[in-house]
This record gives sequence, structure tokens and C-alpha cells, in this order.
Amino acid sequence: MIRVTNLYKRFGDIHAVNGISFEVKKGETYGLLGPNGAGKTTTMRMLSALSPLTSGSITVGGIDVTKHGREVRKILGVVTQHDGHDSGLTVLQNLSLHGYLEGLSLKQAKVRAVEVLTFFGLEDRAGANVYELSGGMKRRLAISRALLTQPPVVVLDEPTTGLDPQSRNRVWEQLAVMKRAGVTVLMSTHYMEEAATLCDRLAIMDHGRILDEGAPDALVDQHAGEEVAQVRTESETALAALRERLADTPYRLHEVGAMATVTSENGKRPDLTGLTGVRVTYRQGNLEDVFLALTGRELRDE
Amino acid sequence: MTLAAADNRSSWTSAIRWRSVTGIWLRHWTSYIRYWKITITWVLIEPAVALVAVGFGIGQLVVEVEGANSYAEFVTPGIIMGSAMFHALFETSWNAYHRIDNQIYETQLTTPITVFELTLGDVAWAVTRSLMTTVSVAAFAVALGWIDQWSAVGILIPAVLSGMVFGTMGFFFAATAPYTVFLSLVFTLVATPLYFFSGSFFPISVLPDWVEPVAWAMPLTPAVHMARGFATNSLEFSHLWSGLYMVGMILVFWPIAVWLMRRRLIK
Ligand SMILES: Nc1ncnc2c1ncn2[C@@H]1O[C@H](COP(=O)(O)OP(=O)(O)OP(=O)(O)O)[C@@H](O)[C@H]1O
Ligand SMILES: [Mg+2]
Repeated sequence: MIRVTNLYKRFGDIHAVNGISFEVKKGETYGLLGPNGAGKTTTMRMLSALSPLTSGSITVGGIDVTKHGREVRKILGVVTQHDGHDSGLTVLQNLSLHGYLEGLSLKQAKVRAVEVLTFFGLEDRAGANVYELSGGMKRRLAISRALLTQPPVVVLDEPTTGLDPQSRNRVWEQLAVMKRAGVTVLMSTHYMEEAATLCDRLAIMDHGRILDEGAPDALVDQHAGEEVAQVRTESETALAALRERLADTPYRLHEVGAMATVTSENGKRPDLTGLTGVRVTYRQGNLEDVFLALTGRELRDE
Repeated sequence: MTLAAADNRSSWTSAIRWRSVTGIWLRHWTSYIRYWKITITWVLIEPAVALVAVGFGIGQLVVEVEGANSYAEFVTPGIIMGSAMFHALFETSWNAYHRIDNQIYETQLTTPITVFELTLGDVAWAVTRSLMTTVSVAAFAVALGWIDQWSAVGILIPAVLSGMVFGTMGFFFAATAPYTVFLSLVFTLVATPLYFFSGSFFPISVLPDWVEPVAWAMPLTPAVHMARGFATNSLEFSHLWSGLYMVGMILVFWPIAVWLMRRRLIK
């Protein structure tokens, strides 16, 4: 349904997207994960024909985004990273006029607007100014807006950022309903648990590249192991010994203060018996381990 | 090459989707009437104040003016066109900048709309505002007997053209402004000098010889000239040229506005 091939995007000397390719099948939910500045938003903006490609190609439903942007946007619902609400209009007007611009009649647009507002628990706020909404409510409004026309393909840029657990559940619920209806979803998120639950497959991006791609479980097996070791130690020498032990093995050490995590690249549980001065516990590997194993620990600030 | 190719949505050759244009216009109208208690003052109080102050106030001091029976009659079309200019210009500079800055255009562009259609909708609204202010000031002037009602109908023509000239011009500022204060240039560079030097308050012929051609070339001058032709029932060939000059400006400004806005929004 979505096919991205050899996609590049440069802003001056910034290589925001540096040669990525991926495919999202019909009805699939595909996630983009990556640190700040990885290129997720840029990719999604190009996909929504909001940004010209430097090179490469994108098709959505077989339609070339570069050649037929308008046609692509007809089948696409987009949640932008910044809500982009219209402060001159009420909550309901934001939705109904958006629906009208999408091509619905004013009457249909209003009916749909009330439906989505009700689903996302905003019906009491229909007459409010958008600036009177809390951050999470604005986010819900942005999602409502993208779903107004029930598009077959939906692009969501960090849909649940800033949402409380209840609202996040509501969004997940909505995504589940859409999935059953065969809607294709491309989303980005910083919540690993969310990605693991929702996404059929996901790509881990950094510096404009895709580092790896696959089903969440497969990625965990491949980069973290079914079980990862948590090592707690106060002793520098113990840590040095551990480092030495793991050199040239398929195991990776990730140090975070007094805590270190040992992940595995062959799926086997790391054997850490015989080390002194450390406390080792084992827990299930998860996407966060994969994420840190692939993208490292330093902050992104470029 | 990639830039031009990527935003095919704005290609001049692709057919216009009218829903996009009416959708944008409807958005502006909805927002306008939502705040009607405030916006009504734009069309009722503000122009009436200018008309009374200048027509009665300054009119007392001016004994005779070329081409009109009284100063009030002379100045009325000038004030009307000045007001039409301000409204159109403000709409697509300050208000459009606000829509850029708050990602309102970005949201609108997630629907099947092109940047060209976006400017069509915005300019249609700018023209609407020009017309609203024109009708209100003209009605006031008709009541005062400074213009007769049939001439007032004719003035709608330069009002529409001014709405398009200044509606497209406003985008130049919105699309290039790095920050809000930059937009004050709209007033210092465009609106204020044009308001005073386009033959609204005094005939261009009283200016020094070397300034006259400059004043004639200014984009508000043809609107004032044409409006005055209608107001004083003295239409002649020169008014047709004024109309053509405005059409020419629109044809030049519009593609520039679209190009600048596309560069700003689609990147
Ligand atoms: N309009 C722009 N002009 C210049 N550089 C830009 C522009 N938009 C994005 N970038 C740069 O492109 C890179 C990728 O940014 P992008 O917004 O795609 O990251 P992201 O993965 O969405 O990050 P985040 O998780 O913080 O939202 C960054 O280095 C960013 O500074
Ligand atoms: Mg982003």
C-alpha cells in the first residue's frame, strides 16, 4: 500500500533522510522508531506530499506522490506532529470545515465530526475554542480530524505524545478498530511499549537511515535476546572484567550509571556466572533494549 | 527540478478544484462571523470615522479641488479605496502569516488542495473584505450626499480589483517574513505611503513634476483614479487604462505569490 524506495531528503547540508526503503502492506500497521532528528517526520511529510523529495520515490496505493500528490491526499488521513488547529474556529468547526475541504458535504462533515468527537470524548468541548483544550485534548482532536473521512491509509506522527493512559488506550482502541477494517497505518512513536503492541512491523531509524526492520518480536530476538541480563555493580574493576569477558562475543554491554544491560545478538541468554562484585538478574528482552542497542545512548541535538 | 516536480499540486495546468476554494473562503467567513461583534467595527465605525474627519474636518479648509464639486466628494473615493487596500493587504499578510506560523495551512494542505487553490480562497476572502468595507463606506457617503448611489455601484469594480492586487501582494510579506515584527513593513513600505500618495487626499498634479510619474505607478493610484471616475461621473479612456494596469498587476503578482507561498509551505 505504501512503497518507499531509496528516499533521500536534504535541507542544505543536513541529510535528514539518507536513503531509506520500506514497504507497508495493505492492512498492516508499520512503525517508525528513532531518536529525535532521526528523520521520521521528514519521511512522513514527504509521504503526505507536504515536502518535495530530494530523490527516490514514494507510492501510496500505487499512486506516485511526486506526480499525483492530490490523488494521494484523497486516500490519506494525516496527523501532523504539531496539531495545527485553527484558533479562529471552534472545536466542531475545525472538524466540519476540514471535512468540507476534504470533499464531504457540510451536513456529512458535521455528522462525522460529532461522531469522532464523541468517540474521543470531546463532545462536551464541541463549542470550545481550541486554545481552551488541554494538550492531550488537542492531540485527540488532531487524530479525530485525520479519521473524519475514514481514509484507507493513515499517517500518524507521534499520535499519543502527551496523552494520559486513558486517552492513549482510546487511541489504541481506535487503531484496533481501523486494523480490523483493513486500514493501513504508518505511525511514529517514542513509546516502545506502544510500538510493540500496535505495530506488525517497524523500522528503527537513526541519522536518516533505517538500522533494522522487522516484527517487534523478531527484532527483540535478534538484537536483545529473549532474556537480557541486568548487571548492578559499584566496582569499576568488576565492570572492567565484565567488559573483557564480553569482548568479541555476540553479547553487548550497555552501561547506564551503576546499571548495565547485557543484550545478545544470537538470541541466547548471556552467561555471566563466575563474575565477582556484581549482581546479575535476568528479565525479558524488549524493544527498548533493541532501540538502545541499535541507536546507542548519546543525545541527539543536531 | 525536484522542487518543481514535487509540488505538482500547484501546477498551473492542473484543473482547479473549486471545493478547495469555497472551503477556504467558508473557513474565513465562519471565523469572521464568529467574532462579528468585533469585526463589525471594521466595516462600520473605522471608515465612517475617516470619512467624517477628512470630509468635514479637512473639507472646511479646502476651498476648491480640481475635478470635484467639494473636497468631500473628491476624497470619498480615495478613502474607500484606501480602506479596501488595507483590508485586503492585512488579510494576506498578517493573517496569512498567523496561519503559516500556527501550521493552519499545513493542516489545510493535508486535504486534496493545491497551494494555488489556497491562494485563490484567501484572495477571494480578501476581495470579500474589500467589498464589505467599500459597501459600508460608500453607503455612508451616499447618506451624506457625497456620492450618488449609482456611482457607488460602479466603485465595486475597482474595489474587486484592489482586493486582488493587494490580496496577492500581501502574500509577498507573509511568505518571506522570518518573524512577526517583519510584517510591520507592510505598513511602512506599502500601506501608509500608498494611502497618502495615490491621489486620495490631493490630486497627483500638485506633486513636484518628478514625483508625479512615481505616484502614477503606485499600485493604489489606478484604483483611486478609477473609483473617482465613477464617483464624479467623469469616466474616460484613462480609467480603462487604470483598470488594465490593475489586471496587469494581478497577473504578475499572483504567480509570484503562489511561488513564494509554495516555497514557504512545501519544504
Ligand atoms: N524545514 C527544515 N529545515 C531544515 N532542517 C530540517 C527541517 N525539517 C527537519 N530538519 C532536520 O531534519 C532532521 C530530521 O528531522 P525530523 O523532524 O524528520 O526528525 P524526527 O525523527 O521527526 O524527530 P523527532 O522525534 O524529534 O520528532 C533534523 O536534523 C532536523 O533538524
Ligand atoms: Mg518528528
